[in-house]
Amino acid sequence: MRNPLTVLRRRLSEHRELRADGGTTSQAGSILDRDSVRSAPFWLPPFLLIGLFIYGAIIWNIVLSLTNFQGLGSPDYSALDLENYVIAFFGGTPSWSSLTVDPIWNAAWNTVVLMVAFSVVCLAVGLVMAILVDQEIRFENTFRTIYLLPMSLSFVVTAKFWLYMYNVETGLVNLFLGAVGVGPVEIVQNPDIKLAAVAFALIWQFSGYAMIVYLAGLRAIPTSHFEAARVDGASTLRMYWRVIIPQLRTATVSALVVLTVFSLKAFDFLFSMYGGYQPGPSADILATRMVREAYSNGNWAYGSAIAVILFVMALAIVAPYIYTQYQRGEL
Amino acid sequence: MSEHEPNVSRRTVLTTTSAAAIAGLAGCSGGGGGDGDDGSGGGNELELLHAWSSGDGNAAIEALIEGFQEEHPDVEFAEEPVNGAARSNLDQVISNKLQANDPPSTFQSWPGKHLETYDGALEDIEEEIWTDDLKENYLAGPQEQAQYDGRYVTVPLNIHRINNLFYNTGVLEEAGVDAESLSSASDVVGACETIAAETDAVPFAHQTSGTWSTVQLWETILLGEAGIDGYESFINGDGDTEQVQSALESVVELSEYYPSDSSSISFTEANTMVMDGDAAFIHQGDWAAGAYSNADGFAYGDDWGQVTYPGTSGSYLLNMDSFPYMANNPSPEATRQFLSYCGTAEGQVLFNAEKGSIPPRSDADVSALNAFQQDQYDDFNAADNQPPSVEHGLAVSPGVKTNISSAFSGFLEDYDAAATADALISAFN
Repeated sequence: MRNPLTVLRRRLSEHRELRADGGTTSQAGSILDRDSVRSAPFWLPPFLLIGLFIYGAIIWNIVLSLTNFQGLGSPDYSALDLENYVIAFFGGTPSWSSLTVDPIWNAAWNTVVLMVAFSVVCLAVGLVMAILVDQEIRFENTFRTIYLLPMSLSFVVTAKFWLYMYNVETGLVNLFLGAVGVGPVEIVQNPDIKLAAVAFALIWQFSGYAMIVYLAGLRAIPTSHFEAARVDGASTLRMYWRVIIPQLRTATVSALVVLTVFSLKAFDFLFSMYGGYQPGPSADILATRMVREAYSNGNWAYGSAIAVILFVMALAIVAPYIYTQYQRGEL
Repeated sequence: MSEHEPNVSRRTVLTTTSAAAIAGLAGCSGGGGGDGDDGSGGGNELELLHAWSSGDGNAAIEALIEGFQEEHPDVEFAEEPVNGAARSNLDQVISNKLQANDPPSTFQSWPGKHLETYDGALEDIEEEIWTDDLKENYLAGPQEQAQYDGRYVTVPLNIHRINNLFYNTGVLEEAGVDAESLSSASDVVGACETIAAETDAVPFAHQTSGTWSTVQLWETILLGEAGIDGYESFINGDGDTEQVQSALESVVELSEYYPSDSSSISFTEANTMVMDGDAAFIHQGDWAAGAYSNADGFAYGDDWGQVTYPGTSGSYLLNMDSFPYMANNPSPEATRQFLSYCGTAEGQVLFNAEKGSIPPRSDADVSALNAFQQDQYDDFNAADNQPPSVEHGLAVSPGVKTNISSAFSGFLEDYDAAATADALISAFN
């Protein structure tokens, strides 16, 4: 076997040469061929592992959602149908249960609200913080660390922490509301604001992450762009709106993808905050519903169907954005 | 040389990583297809899974195993506490193991309808373990819970009672309330009113962030108001909407006397309020008393007391743990020996002395238990009936229990008794 670093170095230099003369395509093809084979030790193992454990598992889950798998034993793959999806969307008594199963609309709606509100506000807060931290202020590193720190905490810690923050008697949120003459307000079990309270806590935890991503994006923009905008007489607001923010698309996409995934993981948060799989109808999301169906009731196939719906929803939110970015050639 | 160093280390890293990945893959496939070539081990190694990973539960299971090993020194334990939020993690681990066709010897499980989860994986143990001795000495209630589909499949080990009302003696005296004189759920509400007027203490400590405390409070009140017949109709799916709603309305009345931050506190915090004299009553299973006996200067009788929840006298509302016998058992002989030991009065006393619950056998010598447990044990033996708890998995199948918990998660948001009553009745359909 050749020294991998040498191979890599040669490959890079070959590319550079190709770009320089731009001509010999047939040669380029064969080199590419050989390269892909030669570099197989690098990309093949992760490719296979990811293929098996991520995409293989997704496909298996989709097949599972078409079965009637329930309770112990093993799924029967011979009779596949869409019954679980019919039940998920319209409710009713499925063939694998004697109990009526409610449709998932309530949990699906809560999931969408949480996902959209959390991601959008998180990005907005992160962007504002990044712009402020980018003003070459003193103690910039300290601020950056402080804003990012909540992200290093586990959901369990933040859920217990916010349970305390939202306490009617002693929580800081209510003390603050009291100081401005509002409250005390019941938050944790209040159907009107419970989901918002969860979203708020998650935003607190993850806006620091959005800030870091935006900060990196801002740093990548050449100073000349700022200067040019200034010379042309743009106000600060106008400069950011017309010149800087449009250049942060890539940062937005990468932050958005990660944040969407985090919002799906809100299960941990709800589990810790409400001490189980029952956060109540106004904060019930698809993830809690899915775990209830699978692990409380043993309805594995139905749980898989909910997982597929969740997966499609996440794709539906992220895919259009990624696609437009791809068309613009920015990915 | 220095230019060469990083190459070597990178290659080492690469080799190590792929070796680890291959080992990981091998481990996965071994776990998936493993039908116990290592699990069964010597054949005498007993794989026991439980969630008693800390505190009194851990001390109790250790005492039980120690007692067992004195009689059977040849049996080894591959004991595995499953950590995490009490029982839900354990249930997931068991489900996963059973699906991989790798059952443990036995594990901590609620008996009763909860056993439906393990339908098909349980073995009838009437002949070997449920001897006449056990049948004579288990009261009818617990004995019924040991059966699934009419077959004896599990050995109940302990009983926690649900229909208790604990109180702080000092607070009640200050308010001039006599707990013994209360005889119905509405008397409790009346007493709370007096306490609120006469003292600074919170009348009724309760947590509402999770549903479980409220479900068990409601089932206790239902048992009191609708009687054993009404209660049994409900758990058999034939409940009376008015009775269910009326019990919920009693809970709504009581909720006026909860701590104002009940949604942000845990059971432990609520219980501590009673211990500190910041609250008068708490309705809980008798694990609440475990914290009292561990506290200095908080003595049974002098500082705290317990009455059967007003209205439910004559009933001992059961929450039990048990050890079922799994089919395809990795250690058949050792498991039978262990389950038989769990069915003895001696083993049960060892376990319950630490756990704070009582033995399910009615012939146990309970002098080793504390005074409160002995009183509970007397109540148990004198009880007219021992109905199973809804919240603690005995009375209804897992699917119904999930529906009931969901109904209560809505109830905690809006306290709408009528809507919740409908949801509870339709939980069985």
